[in-house]
Amino acid sequence: MELSKIRLLYKLISHHQRLQARRHPMFEKKLAMKILSYIFIAFWAVYLVMLGFTAYSYFDGSALEAFDWIDGGMIWFLIVDFLSRFSMQETPAQNIKQYKLHNIPTGFLLHTFLLRMGLQPYNLFWAFFFVPFGLRAIPQFYGIIGFLGFIIGWWLMYVLNSYWYLFWRTLLNRNFFFVIIPLLTYAALAYFGIFFDADNQWLFEGSIRLMRGFCQWNPLCWLVFVIVVVPLYIVNFRLQKVAIYVEIAKTEVVKQFKTHNMTFLDGLGVIGEYLKLELKSTVRNLVVRKQFITGALCMLMLCSLFSFSDIYDDFPFMRVFICIYCFTCLGVMTLTTVMCAEGNYIDGLMVRRETVLSLLKAKYYFQCIILIVPLLFTLMPILEGKITWLTALGCLLFTTGAVFPFIFQLAVYNDITIHLNEKLTKTGRDTKVQMLMAGGALFLPMFVMYALVECFNDDVAAISMISIGLVGTVLHPWWLRNIYERFMQRRYANMDGFRNSR
Amino acid sequence: MNLTIEKLTKSFGEKQALNIDRYAIHSGETIGLVGNNGAGKTTLFRIILDLLHADTGCVTIDGVVDGVPVSCDTSKSEEWKAYTGAFVDTGFLIDYLTPEEYFRFIAKISDISDAVLRDRLLQFDGFMNGEILGQKTLIRNLSMGNKQKVGIIGAMLHYPQLLILDEPFNFLDPTSQLAMKYLLETYSKEHHATIIVSSHNLTHTLDICSRITLLEHGLIIKDYDRDYAMLTSEIEAYFKGNINI
Repeated sequence: MELSKIRLLYKLISHHQRLQARRHPMFEKKLAMKILSYIFIAFWAVYLVMLGFTAYSYFDGSALEAFDWIDGGMIWFLIVDFLSRFSMQETPAQNIKQYKLHNIPTGFLLHTFLLRMGLQPYNLFWAFFFVPFGLRAIPQFYGIIGFLGFIIGWWLMYVLNSYWYLFWRTLLNRNFFFVIIPLLTYAALAYFGIFFDADNQWLFEGSIRLMRGFCQWNPLCWLVFVIVVVPLYIVNFRLQKVAIYVEIAKTEVVKQFKTHNMTFLDGLGVIGEYLKLELKSTVRNLVVRKQFITGALCMLMLCSLFSFSDIYDDFPFMRVFICIYCFTCLGVMTLTTVMCAEGNYIDGLMVRRETVLSLLKAKYYFQCIILIVPLLFTLMPILEGKITWLTALGCLLFTTGAVFPFIFQLAVYNDITIHLNEKLTKTGRDTKVQMLMAGGALFLPMFVMYALVECFNDDVAAISMISIGLVGTVLHPWWLRNIYERFMQRRYANMDGFRNSR
Repeated sequence: MNLTIEKLTKSFGEKQALNIDRYAIHSGETIGLVGNNGAGKTTLFRIILDLLHADTGCVTIDGVVDGVPVSCDTSKSEEWKAYTGAFVDTGFLIDYLTPEEYFRFIAKISDISDAVLRDRLLQFDGFMNGEILGQKTLIRNLSMGNKQKVGIIGAMLHYPQLLILDEPFNFLDPTSQLAMKYLLETYSKEHHATIIVSSHNLTHTLDICSRITLLEHGLIIKDYDRDYAMLTSEIEAYFKGNINI
């Protein structure tokens, strides 16, 4: 291809990607949402800048230089970055699909998207931390040129991490369990490279040497980067090439499904029918199933930590704290997108009377029934005397009577449809309101518990939580109807949002 | 069921999608709504079904249900939902259910027993043509034509007095289109229901409808309700662009 054509196509694709982000249905229509998302980004930027400034003072005067501590802990930065990418970074295969029928070589498309992935602004986000930190820590040793090398070096590490993430994210689309391999790799690196042998912290020392090399503009360090990034790029290129064809030629394997009437729920009338929908949606829809499994795994992990380990035995507050999270985490993780799955068939629901109210009730009962699992797990710590039955009951009722009413409010505001069976990552599904509410639902119990335990004692705290929870639970028909009525007041805007994001 | 539309307007940005001063549909009529793409047919259906907010005006449904007179503005009450059935697009289908599960779900929330449901499904046997029930497949894995059939049957299962179908002949094979025509004619006769269908298929629409309304750019530009022969030739002529209406 001619250079001028390459430039033109690259510009066009870049323009399309910018438009895609700008014209996201959620982002396009609400000024408040835009402002909120800018505030959200600004908050983290300011937070990282402050952290960058203070981190230098924290390490000042220690045996190693401040930048050595930060550089030595590179693996931790990369782990955090890797995890944060799950909500930020898309795989190119799906974006390329729409260009495939045009007269543009696939190789060019892949290179464009992969290069843009490396150059994406998110890889520079951590500069909010490294610039202020580096400005205080580096110039006195390596001058301003060394500082530049430090910033570029860290940026290159994040570029590497983005390709590393992309590789696993693409495989993850095929099988959920691929998530285990990169996490185990990070864990093994951290353990064997830092903790296993105090006299041979090869990863810690290697990271320091590498970054010092960047500061000194040592050609060997740049060579190391090239040696790692080139194979990673080629592997990603090949993998994405296959992924595009898998995506385009995707012929969904049509599984045979037996009709399940679940007659045992018939006694519950209309609510029973919606409970059946909830169960079938969880079992048959990939996205809903993943969301549920992730939440359930978190819940089981917390429950196991709580029941079978003594890590937190010395911290009474932490015990109660984890106990609450055993009950709330699954609900918070799945209810954050409450009504978003129903966005796919909201029209069908809305032409039938009070169906949304029955649906909300069914969702509430479904979440309450699941709480039997953490309740069973808490039996062991109760028997061992780690917590009282009063505390466990308090956590249970506080979840059903305070946390659920709080997170269910999202049913009024959620208006982005989640694609039930979509395999490839599409970012922008979680709105900032969802994130704020989820954060609120997770921190609310902690603050309430903390205040009660600090002001009184464990038993008073538990009784207070039981009282608050009991009131909320008993009043569930009232607050669910209230949510329903507010949903009906916003119905046109919500249905519009659901339709636009289908 | 009578349906009355008054002073209804709807705009999307600068573009006016609907502007209907007054339009009345009488009980037992089968209305064919025809018009080119972007005429406002689906928008009108969505407003009637309270799925879209009208800028001004209202839609009122009134009539007698089980001997009791009823009347309501569709945007202010949910009462009309009990005696209205509709299928506009696949956004009406819960696609992770099998057709059987979907029909049973509709039946349960409409207070229809399993035995009655079985009887009613038998009446749609010809229309389903052996391609819907017993397939052990989810609705999302059905062909578009079969999804259309599931949606239409779902809309008719509770024997609504007002039936609204958007492009019911779309995606259907010729045999199913004829079955669809027969189904609507029979349903209209047996239940004296008010039926509103939109379609690009003029032949089928003219065959089954007692009244044809021509919608263009959000305006009702002609409402034909009598002479079949004249109606057919006029409508065909309009779409050929041969006459000025």
